[in-house]
Amino acid sequence: MVLQLIINGISLGAVYTLIAVGFAIVFTILRFSNFAHGGMISACAFIGYFFQRYVKPTPPFALTVIFTAVCGIILALAIDFFAYQRIRINKSPSIYYFLVSLTVAILIEQILIVFFGTNMYGYPAVFETQTMQIGSFRIKTMNLVILAVSLSLLFALMILLNKTKIGLAIRAVAIDPNTSRLMGINSNVVITTVFAIAGLLAGVSGVFIGMQYSVYPSLGPTMMLKGFIASVVGGMGSLGGAIIAALFLGLIEIISTYFLGATTTTIIMFAIMLGFLFIRPQGISGKFAEDKV
Amino acid sequence: MKNIYKFVVVLILMALVVGCTAPAPAPEPEPAKTEEPAPPAEDKPTEEVTEAPATEAPKEPIIIGSIQDLTGTASEAGKANAWGAEYAVKVINEQGGINGRMLEIITLDCKNDLNEGINAYRKLVDEEKVSAIIGPPLSNPASGWVDLSEEDEMPIVGHFMDEVVTTNPETGEVYPYMFLAEPGCASQSDAMAKYALEDLKLTKFATLYNTGNAFAKAHAIPFMDYVREHGGEVVAEETFTWADTDYSAQALKIANAAPEAVFLSDYVVQATTAYDALRDAGFEGVILGANTLSLPFANLVKNPVHDVYFLQNYDMLNKDQPCYDLHQAYMEDQKSEYPKANTAFGWDAVHVLVDAMKKAADPTNGPEVRDLLEKTTELPICHGNITIDPATHRPNNLGMFIADYDENNQIRILKYVLP
Repeated sequence: MVLQLIINGISLGAVYTLIAVGFAIVFTILRFSNFAHGGMISACAFIGYFFQRYVKPTPPFALTVIFTAVCGIILALAIDFFAYQRIRINKSPSIYYFLVSLTVAILIEQILIVFFGTNMYGYPAVFETQTMQIGSFRIKTMNLVILAVSLSLLFALMILLNKTKIGLAIRAVAIDPNTSRLMGINSNVVITTVFAIAGLLAGVSGVFIGMQYSVYPSLGPTMMLKGFIASVVGGMGSLGGAIIAALFLGLIEIISTYFLGATTTTIIMFAIMLGFLFIRPQGISGKFAEDKV
Repeated sequence: MKNIYKFVVVLILMALVVGCTAPAPAPEPEPAKTEEPAPPAEDKPTEEVTEAPATEAPKEPIIIGSIQDLTGTASEAGKANAWGAEYAVKVINEQGGINGRMLEIITLDCKNDLNEGINAYRKLVDEEKVSAIIGPPLSNPASGWVDLSEEDEMPIVGHFMDEVVTTNPETGEVYPYMFLAEPGCASQSDAMAKYALEDLKLTKFATLYNTGNAFAKAHAIPFMDYVREHGGEVVAEETFTWADTDYSAQALKIANAAPEAVFLSDYVVQATTAYDALRDAGFEGVILGANTLSLPFANLVKNPVHDVYFLQNYDMLNKDQPCYDLHQAYMEDQKSEYPKANTAFGWDAVHVLVDAMKKAADPTNGPEVRDLLEKTTELPICHGNITIDPATHRPNNLGMFIADYDENNQIRILKYVLP
């Protein structure tokens, strides 16, 4: 029983991981909570759905994921261009980023409502078998795929950040944007890359979350809440922390819901977030990011 | 120049004289004139009224309001509801309106929100001067009107199923101007529980519902009460909240409790997630559900649909049913792949209201229409022949259809059950 709960918890945590990392990577560089990420997830869920449903012959699922990830990148860059770039040029306070990100999130959701209503859309089933029975345990096929893709993507992201020049530049800008600029790093390229990565993650998250549940305009913002908690608990701006925290939250949520009920679990989740903010504001990672918004 | 001025003045004087001494109307009216609508009486001189031919003044239209969720979280249902109400008004007008008076409907958006609902209500009553209101199939916005409707003597007919919108939950007294045109949540749940116990011969049940959703709660609790009172057993009562997106822990707990059936009573978003979570957790028993498990539920779930029984207000695809044409008209007009029960909700509410208005000496008199709504007896609507119980303002003689899905995920009506 407990092992089954742990499996379910890790599966749920994998979903949160994708969201939390996309959220955290923008915070790493720009020091603001990009709530527009939730809107991007919803938009990508719709893009993936329509691609998978209406392109003939029906594309392979992997192609849908890649296509949506590319669309996610384009969307993220467009949001950066239209919403955030002016704030950067004007060197406006961080609160402006926060307000704009909230506005963009609401804007995307409302645009989706205008075009698609609040109706739900269901991805066609991709796997013939929804669950796999291993001994006495049941594992959802989609959860396994999400877990594998999440780990692969995060592994690739770690290599990008730690083993490449652009990764080095991202880390440098994250630590000290002014000094890195003096060292000849083009911060615009770095920021664009970061938004592209966030967009890619939103695209992949959108498809997987849409497949896992259903597609509707408030899907992303609903899931964002847990991603945000994971970011805070992990240490705002820490990718490693966000991953650990997301898995941790998935586990806590499943175990707590099983033993204490859903209502109590919501209280516990927020209590954990508040507890970290009071006792260990730097989160699990131990890296304290200033200018939290 | 002076001559020109004089000429102009003379012309004006002549025109005035001609105007004042225009010939009186002919003693016998010309046929063409009698066919023209006469101007409103207050614009006519008294002499002309007495001498005018016997033409009937156009009757002012009766304005009714319709408050629906057009952009909120339940807008898919709300828009179908609004369509049904407007279509009903169109048909009624084509048939002569209410005793010769045309019906006009003004639809406003409540966005599935209590305050927006109150704003829409005030606008309809204060500015549009409506005589009655068609309410939404949502109890939350409608609950804000129970006192207002009494103050304004404004009859409201709708599909707000939660019983607390028609009767005071503390005193049991009826809210005088609120009327429900379908069975309440408890009646519907009773019908499902009765079917499960008597027809499916099930005895062990579980529920999984959102504690924050009044609709879900108002179904789930009466369902459990009925089961317990009639010899069944509730082995698990699991809940979730609006903030939850994953119900696997609850589903696992239910699967471990080994019920024969699980009752789902949430909106379609949550119901699909709950269904998949239960099947993923290994529960292969019967799923019972509210009318929200109707299409598109079967098209949204990831697991194969089997052993799913749910409530239906109408047998929508049966050509022998009274509102088959209505559903076809909706599907054609809205390019919908499947019919929506809400279309008939709007239609039914308008017909219940109009029936009372037709019987009233003054269809715009709220108290008179209210009294007549209470006397609604065996009125044929899409749902059947409705009789409203004056003690509850809810129908006391309507049952529900029980349906399942066939192998092509098409709705199949199984039985009509009276609670």
